[in-house]
Amino acid sequence: MRKKTFSVLTAAFGLALAACGSSASSSTASNSSSSLPPAPSQITVGTTYSGSGSFATSSIPELDGLKFWIKYENAKGGVYVGAYKKRIPVKLVAYNDLSSATTAATQYNQLLTQDKVNIFVSDFGSVLTAPAVSLAEAHKVVLFDQSGTGIPFFSPQNKYIVLADLPVSSIWPNVLAKFLISKQIKNLAVLYGTNDFDASQATTLKTILAQNGINISYYQGVPSSTTSFGTLLQTIAQSKPDALLEFGYAANDAPFLQNVQSSGMHFKMVFTVFPGQLLGLFQQQVGTAGLSYTYTYGTNFYVNYPTVSEGLNSSQFATQFAAAFPGELNSLSLDGYNTGLVIQASLKYAKSLSQSDIRAGAAAASGHLNTVDGSFVLNSEGAQTGELLPVAQLFPSGSGVTLKAVYPASQATGSAVYPAPVG
Amino acid sequence: MPKLDEIDRTLETESKGKRLISPAVAALVPVVVFAVGVHIYSNELLLTYMAIYIALAQGINIIYGFTGYLPFGYFGFFGVGAYASGLAMLDYNVPPVLAVVIGGVAAALVGALLLPLFRLRGAYFAIGTLAASEAIYAIVSNPSLQSITNGPYGLNLAAYYSSGTAYGTAIALAAIAILAASYVRSSKFGLTLKAIRDDSYSASMSGVNVPRQRFYAWLIAAAIAGMGGSIFGWSTSVFYPQAVFDSSLSVLAIVFALFGGVGTVWGPTVGTVVLYAIYNAIGVSNPQYFQLIYGLVIVLLVLFAPRGLAGLRQIKSRRATTVGAKND
Repeated sequence: MRKKTFSVLTAAFGLALAACGSSASSSTASNSSSSLPPAPSQITVGTTYSGSGSFATSSIPELDGLKFWIKYENAKGGVYVGAYKKRIPVKLVAYNDLSSATTAATQYNQLLTQDKVNIFVSDFGSVLTAPAVSLAEAHKVVLFDQSGTGIPFFSPQNKYIVLADLPVSSIWPNVLAKFLISKQIKNLAVLYGTNDFDASQATTLKTILAQNGINISYYQGVPSSTTSFGTLLQTIAQSKPDALLEFGYAANDAPFLQNVQSSGMHFKMVFTVFPGQLLGLFQQQVGTAGLSYTYTYGTNFYVNYPTVSEGLNSSQFATQFAAAFPGELNSLSLDGYNTGLVIQASLKYAKSLSQSDIRAGAAAASGHLNTVDGSFVLNSEGAQTGELLPVAQLFPSGSGVTLKAVYPASQATGSAVYPAPVG
Repeated sequence: MPKLDEIDRTLETESKGKRLISPAVAALVPVVVFAVGVHIYSNELLLTYMAIYIALAQGINIIYGFTGYLPFGYFGFFGVGAYASGLAMLDYNVPPVLAVVIGGVAAALVGALLLPLFRLRGAYFAIGTLAASEAIYAIVSNPSLQSITNGPYGLNLAAYYSSGTAYGTAIALAAIAILAASYVRSSKFGLTLKAIRDDSYSASMSGVNVPRQRFYAWLIAAAIAGMGGSIFGWSTSVFYPQAVFDSSLSVLAIVFALFGGVGTVWGPTVGTVVLYAIYNAIGVSNPQYFQLIYGLVIVLLVLFAPRGLAGLRQIKSRRATTVGAKND
């Protein structure tokens, strides 16, 4: 039995290694060449989306934004490709990853190895973007990272990533920290999800505040799946904070705000991350009373950009997107559209359709691209640093709430009400 | 005319031969299929995960199929393996294949720590393992342990990424898991496990050391999951805690094993290949109806093949025997 088993194992390893011999070298990369190959009949954009699961509410609007960009450009004959000086139609291939990183990984590989897409776009958020990072690098295909702002993705070694729509999560709270300092808030409570996106924001905030002598009396990480905050709120209330900040995903922020409201507690300032991105959804789930006078990040969706260098301006986008995709229009659908604009600019500047030239095209667009999502600026590692998110506050307005940027003064559309009124 | 003892000897030799050939074939067939398959269908990562799922389904087979203990928290060992091997690579520059073994050992050690869970039975045991795995996840992703596990920021193994070698290792793991299940099924050890599954008190009264035998099966299953997690982490290369401590890993592995038929050697392998292929085929061809179609497939299987594919085969062979007997 032992001899037989040993021989089977030997055969297994032999065959397995033989299998990996050829596959290891497989790659969809194409290097730039001096003579341009004939123009393709279409540009294939491949991505995954979360049709269900915890990331669906964020992922679907992003996909809709990308679809809108494709529809809009195809109506003009396709996206303009600078190397060929003509428009080429765009085709979308999108797989449903069900909010699962494992499923997303195999589907990303399907896009690279089977569909051989020209443009590779990741799903919403860091968790679902993570499996795409190494695959893109290994296949030497540029990853257009929509909103995966996780720090580990960006390194000098990885030359195949472009963060399209949002700044890296570690710089998100820079303006928020300045706002807290300006308000002379001295006692803070910070609750954050133990995931890269939220923990990196909490860490950045803590570091900046510590440098300015501000005490965080309550600083607690909770599992990303947390949706019940009652007990935590009781504990936090004992430290009587001047501001309560909760860094979570949409699935955490909404129940957090509901719990604050139902607890009957009053805090001078409550901050959460996602109402500024999914205001319509939060309006439905939390209601006007629960959202009124709370703070959030003011995304570019709430900033009017009348002049842009690529695509539609703010009012044009709002009108045309609503006509094409009736229903929820929010900052994540704007992000999806902006991903398309970054791809568009990269293709415009690229000297060929090789992946290295497309990446060079994105670098060339950096600093020159102004869209409905603001300025696009890439650092040397492919991370977006052009946008700094203002602090916004939600004010009761009619039967709903209105979001107004309150800090910094240069972007403010309203004045902060601090402390928040009772009731 | 041959003597009776000669007939016995012949039958014994034949049976021994079958016992040797069957596991070899069960392990070799998937290896050949995977080795050839990657040249036909180049989504290597999908095939890597399929091989890992075969190993996980066999791990479930060993602990559930042979002892009756269903571990819903099986993903905990998977996550421990991914982290142990990842940290071995990052902190001690251990070669990836050796790190995979370390992942298996670490998972087995955690399995040993969780041994008191065997005081529970049935649904309580299943929920207990789930809670334990969630607890391990909370510990690993805790920001306070960032200096050790990197907390919520995950691991980046891009420097060790080698899709081909990871694929080869996944195939080898699948083969090892199948051989382990074969051994358990055909050995005296397997018989004691089945006795424990059917009636642990009677087994104990018959001289079977129940805790010890069950412990061995538990360790084997944990080590397989740990090595599976190690290869998963290595082949994915950038991952967060929630990706490797994902309860859907357990659910899929259990479904695959049940669909194929637990307590058999071929069942979990065939179950994984068929269901995982369907899972991905629907995801690619009809992503908008993904859950609807996959859910219907599972419902139909539960209704018409509650004992899995192996159960269907047994029914068929029983019918054939009955028909044969009637004809006689």
